[in-house]
Amino acid sequence: MKSGVKWIGACAAGLMLLSGCSAAPTGSPAASSSASGTAAAETAAGSELDWSKINDPSLKGQEITLLWSNDKNNLMADTFAEFTKQTGIKVNAVSTDYNSLYNKISTAVMSNSSDIDVVEMDTIWAGQFLKGNFAVDLTNVVPPDVQKQFSPSSLESVKYDGHLVAIPHFSSTKHFYWNTELLARAGIDKPPVTWDQFREDSLKLKELGIYASAWSWKQAEGLVCDFVSLTSAFGGKFFDDNGKPIFNQGGGVQALQFMTDLVQKDKTVDPASLQWTENDVQNAFAAGKIAMMSNWEYMYPDLDDPTKSKVAGKTDVGLMPGEGGILSAAVTGSEGLAILQSSKHKEAALAFLNFVASKEFQLPFFQKTGNYPSLNELFQDSEVVNSDKSNHFSKIVNQYQYGYNRPNAPGYVTWSDALAAEIHEALVGNKTPQAALDSAVQKIESSQ
Amino acid sequence: MARISPSPRLGLLNRKRKDTLFAILLLLPTVYVLCKVFIYPIYQSAVWSLFKYNLTEPGDVRFIGWGNYLELLKNHDFWVSIDRTFYFTILSVAAELVLGFFSALLLNQSFKGRTFFRGSIIVPWALLTLVNGLMWNWIYQPGNGALSQLLHRAHLLAPDQNPVWLGNSDSIMNFVILADVWKTTPFMTLLLLAGMQHIPGSLYEAAAMDGAGFWKKLKHVTIPQLMPSVIVAVVLRLINAIRVYDILTVFTGDPTTSVSYLTFNNAFRYFYLGRSSAMAWLTTLFIILLIVVYMILLRRNSDTD
Repeated sequence: MKSGVKWIGACAAGLMLLSGCSAAPTGSPAASSSASGTAAAETAAGSELDWSKINDPSLKGQEITLLWSNDKNNLMADTFAEFTKQTGIKVNAVSTDYNSLYNKISTAVMSNSSDIDVVEMDTIWAGQFLKGNFAVDLTNVVPPDVQKQFSPSSLESVKYDGHLVAIPHFSSTKHFYWNTELLARAGIDKPPVTWDQFREDSLKLKELGIYASAWSWKQAEGLVCDFVSLTSAFGGKFFDDNGKPIFNQGGGVQALQFMTDLVQKDKTVDPASLQWTENDVQNAFAAGKIAMMSNWEYMYPDLDDPTKSKVAGKTDVGLMPGEGGILSAAVTGSEGLAILQSSKHKEAALAFLNFVASKEFQLPFFQKTGNYPSLNELFQDSEVVNSDKSNHFSKIVNQYQYGYNRPNAPGYVTWSDALAAEIHEALVGNKTPQAALDSAVQKIESSQ
Repeated sequence: MARISPSPRLGLLNRKRKDTLFAILLLLPTVYVLCKVFIYPIYQSAVWSLFKYNLTEPGDVRFIGWGNYLELLKNHDFWVSIDRTFYFTILSVAAELVLGFFSALLLNQSFKGRTFFRGSIIVPWALLTLVNGLMWNWIYQPGNGALSQLLHRAHLLAPDQNPVWLGNSDSIMNFVILADVWKTTPFMTLLLLAGMQHIPGSLYEAAAMDGAGFWKKLKHVTIPQLMPSVIVAVVLRLINAIRVYDILTVFTGDPTTSVSYLTFNNAFRYFYLGRSSAMAWLTTLFIILLIVVYMILLRRNSDTD
C-alpha cells in the first residue's frame, strides 16, 4: 500500500516536471510571438487587404466566424443568408454575452487561434485592439468616402489615435429624457438646454418635493460615462495632444464640481443615485419618481407601454444639455466590427464589413434588434424611419451629431476603474473635486 | 519440496507488483488531468508572479524577480483591501460563532417542532451567495428598501433622513457582514449542533449534582467539550471568509473592498497576470498560515484530551 502511494507520488512529480519544463518559458512566448507580431502585423494589414477586391469570385465558398453579443436570438440569420447568396461567403454567427466578450476575444488572440474572424468591439477597446495587435488596422483599407458615410459619433468611437480599428455597425450615445408632467407641475414648459438651466429647474422641482434627476453613479463604468458627457459639455478634455491626462483642469473639474454640487449642496438628485446603475435609473424614471435622466437608447417603446411604465405618453427625449459654446455633448456607446489579425479569411471578412456598412444590413438590424443605424443617410431614410416603433426616431438620431468618446487608449479599463473610484470619493464628500481628480491623474500616470 | 516453496511467494510478490502497476496505470489519466488543470496552473502562477506579464503589453514581458511582490507591499490599494478583508473576516466569523453557538444550544433542546426548525435554518445557507447578495442589495436600497422602511417605521430614522447605505466603501463592509452573517450562521449552527450531540449527558448530570447552573454548565462542560468542533468550524469559515468576492460584486464596483476582488480585477479585467499571481500567492500564504495555526491548535487540543 505504502509503496503504491510512493509510486503515485513519483508519477505525479514526474508529470509535474514534464509539464513544468514547458511552464517556465510560457511566461514569455506571448512576448516572442507578439514582438515579432508587431513588425509582421504592419505589413500584413496594409498589403493583404484590398477594398476593391471584396467582390473577387475567389472568396466564394469561404466561411467567416463572427463573435458578437448584439443578436442573442439569432434574428439576423436571414440577413446573413442574403449576404451568402450574393457573395458565396458563409457567415457563422456566434453569440455571447457582453460581459464575457472581451475575455473570449483576448483568449483567442493570445492563443493565436484563427477560429474567429470578425468580432464586436466596444468603443473603449479600440486602443487595446490596435496597440495589442488584436485587430487589423483598417485606416488605409477602407476608402475615405466610405468612412465619411458614417455618423460622426459612431465613426469616432471605432477610431484610436486617428486609426480606424473597426466598422461601426450601430450608433449609440446617452440621451436626455424628461417627464413632461412633472416639469409642467414645476412651471417649466421646455426642457433645459444648458446645465446651468438644468440646475435651476432642478431646484424648482425640489421645492415641490420631487427628485429632479437620478443618475447611474454607482462606482462603475456608468459613472465614468456621465463624467465624460459633462466634462465635454463644460469644454474639458481628458488628454492633451501628448497623451498627458488633463481632466484635472478646467472642464473636468467644473464637471465634477457640478456633479458634487447636485448631490451635496442642491440635494436635487435622488441620493440612491450613488448606488444605482443605468437600469435602476430607468426603473425610477418609469415609476414616475424622477423628472429627468440621462440614459442610453432602448428606453422606448417600454416607457410608452402602460403595462411596464407609469409614465406612458408623459415623457420625451431630446438633446443632452450643453454649456457655453457647446450646444450638446453626450458620451458615445457605439460599437464596431473588427477583423482579427489571426483570421485566415481577412478578405472575406472585409467583404462582410462592406455588407455591414450598407442599408441591407443596417435596416434589418434596426428592425430586428433595435440598434440604431450608423450610416448618416439612413437617418432620413423613409423605410428606416417608418419601421421605428418609438415615435422618437429623429430626436434620438439628432444626438449622434454630438457624441464624445471615452478616452479609448490601451489602458482604458484600468484608468476607468481608478477614475470611477476617485469621482465617487468626491460625490460622497470625502474629497474635493480637485483633490479627487488630481489623485486620479496621479494613479493613471503611475500605471502607464 | 524445498525448491517449490519459494516460488509461490515469488508469484505472490509478482502478482502484488502487477496489481500495483495496474492500479497506477488506471490512476494515470486522473493524475494527468489533475496535474494539468490543478497542479500545473498553481505552479505556473508561481512562475508568472515573478514576471512582468501584462496581456495588454504583449511586447514587454520580462523576468523581474520579486518585483511584483515588492511593489504590492508598497501598494496602497492592496493594503486597503487586506485591511477590509480582515475586518470582514474577523467580525463576520466572530458574529457567526456567537450566534451559531446560541442557536445550536437552542436547537439541542428537545421541544415540539425541533426537526422543522433544524431543517428550516438551512435555507439561507442553501441560497447562492450571489442571490443572497441581490436580495440584500434590494433590502439596502435607499428610500424604498426594506432597511430604510423598517427604520423609518420604527422611528429610528427621522422622516427626512434617507441614507445611502452602500454609498461608502468603508461602511459597505458592515452591510456585507450583516448579509454574510445571515447567510452563514446556519452553517456554524449545524457544525456546533453536531458537536453538542456528542457531549455525553452524564457530564451534565454530574455537573448538576455539583450544583452547577446554566452558565456554569456552559462554561465547564459545553464549551470545553465543544472545542474541537469550534476549531473546525471557525477555521473552515475563516478560510472561506477571507476569499469573500461574489457578494461584493453585487454591492459595489470598488475592487479594494476585498483582496480577492482586487486579484480578480487585476487578472481578468486589466490582464496584469504577473501582479495578480503575486497577489494570489500572498493571499495563499496568509491562508496557509491560518492552516498551520489550525493544525497546532488541533494537535494541542488532542494532546490535552
